[in-house]
Amino acid sequence: MGRVFVVSKVLAIDTSTSRTSVAIIDGDTVVFSGFRDGATAHGPSLPALVQEALAVSEVNEVVVGMGPGPFTGLRVGIAFAQSFALAREIPVRGVCSLDAIAAQIDEKDFIITVDARRKEVYWARYKDGVRVGEPAVDFPADVTGAPIHADLFPDMRSLVAFPGDITEPIYLRRPDAVATVDR
Amino acid sequence: MSEPIVLGIETSCDETAVGIVRGRTLLANVIASSVEEHARFGGVVPEIASRAHLEAMIPTLHQALKDSKISLKDIDAVAVTGGPGLVGALLVGVGSAAGLALGLNKPIYAVNHLAAHVSVDSLTHSNPLDPTIALLVSGGHSSLLQVDDITGSITKLGETMDDAAGEAFDKIARVMKLGFPGGPAIDKLAHDGDANAIDFPRGLTTSNDWQTRPFDFSFSGLKTAVARYLEATPDYKKSDVAASFQEAIVDVLLLKAVAACKQSGIDSLVIAGGVAANSRLRAVAQERCDKAGIQLRVPSPGLCTDNGAMVAALGSLMVSAGRRPSPAAFDADSSLPVTTVSL
Repeated sequence: MGRVFVVSKVLAIDTSTSRTSVAIIDGDTVVFSGFRDGATAHGPSLPALVQEALAVSEVNEVVVGMGPGPFTGLRVGIAFAQSFALAREIPVRGVCSLDAIAAQIDEKDFIITVDARRKEVYWARYKDGVRVGEPAVDFPADVTGAPIHADLFPDMRSLVAFPGDITEPIYLRRPDAVATVDR
Repeated sequence: MSEPIVLGIETSCDETAVGIVRGRTLLANVIASSVEEHARFGGVVPEIASRAHLEAMIPTLHQALKDSKISLKDIDAVAVTGGPGLVGALLVGVGSAAGLALGLNKPIYAVNHLAAHVSVDSLTHSNPLDPTIALLVSGGHSSLLQVDDITGSITKLGETMDDAAGEAFDKIARVMKLGFPGGPAIDKLAHDGDANAIDFPRGLTTSNDWQTRPFDFSFSGLKTAVARYLEATPDYKKSDVAASFQEAIVDVLLLKAVAACKQSGIDSLVIAGGVAANSRLRAVAQERCDKAGIQLRVPSPGLCTDNGAMVAALGSLMVSAGRRPSPAAFDADSSLPVTTVSL
């Protein structure tokens, strides 16, 4: 690929689903992998998991899933990752969490969906292993065209393998609010 | 560790704030506010606030470190507001603080936002803060507290039964079309008004109230009275309404605060929270405390509204008192009672 890879022990974090996932990936090797389930438990789960991970190995890079995902949990992971990297003076980069879910599916054409609450799903379509367009949020009935894989969790080795560098959380929804002038 | 260096993070509402203290010395106090984004909604929108916190966090940390002229490696402990507040907003601060603490291998202190408001006075006045009575008045809270030990023993004497004092300011400002937040606008307008022009009600001050709930507040009756007055008086003088409304709030807050000092035998009063920046409250408090022989402490106006220095200040007091840090896995508590100083 013409690029020099520095041997890196990557702290991988994803809080885009109801699961808080933490791993340390060294090349192709998963040095540590842990998760805790709970849609409103990312706050306490993440530091506890990272503490366990750091007892196994030091790290020199952070990769974090930027969503799409329900906002409050998603932000816990991103805020943690950015501050941890600042404190350690190591690089941090963000990747699309749906891509790390899709990487587990060995099919030619499929759709990944995850719960977006309010009876909607975040989704993206993948063809030949590559995402088609940007992720979106819609009602499940409107998401058609290929076999659907729902409610899986990101594969942390794949999360780290993606070269992307997304700097903004993938929200896909505007904040709910009505201006007083419109009320 | 005689003079701990503590970094404090506050994100319970719409201010992304980072403060750094050394012992009881303020080194940095940086605040990024999303208040302008909320103004057109007439109040704080939680999701807008939470998004703004995440966006502002790293730049705010950088600025605080720059101002303090220290490096992250010099920090002895991280403190963060663990509650009460908007849960989505709190969790950005909690996530960031946990990342810093684990990144630096330093202890984390998740502290109570309300106790932090009171503790910020330790950066202004060098004598011991406690024991003291504390009047905590902001957009979300109005309470009278007995603080025997700011790091662990706070008793609630009373609180508002309905609106917070700052909320009353916001609501009246909205009716009078003065914008959001309402406190500074009413304070300014009241300078040119007559505080005795209109006799607005003082909530929970009947002799029966003094027997049954001496230290509780109620501002909804006042709010209704002002709204009725505005309806009934189309040519009302804005400055007189602002001054008289403000006087009613200030009067009742201080009546009860001074009474709390007298009943407890504690001759010290701290006024904290955003409403403590109100110039009339500060002036009348000084008059009445002087008369009653009470030592009054009010933090400088810049430290009254939500800030990170107050969180760092409480963290620093906790370190100095030998209090145990929070566990790695603690949860933000949106309704954390003031009696729980740390998580």
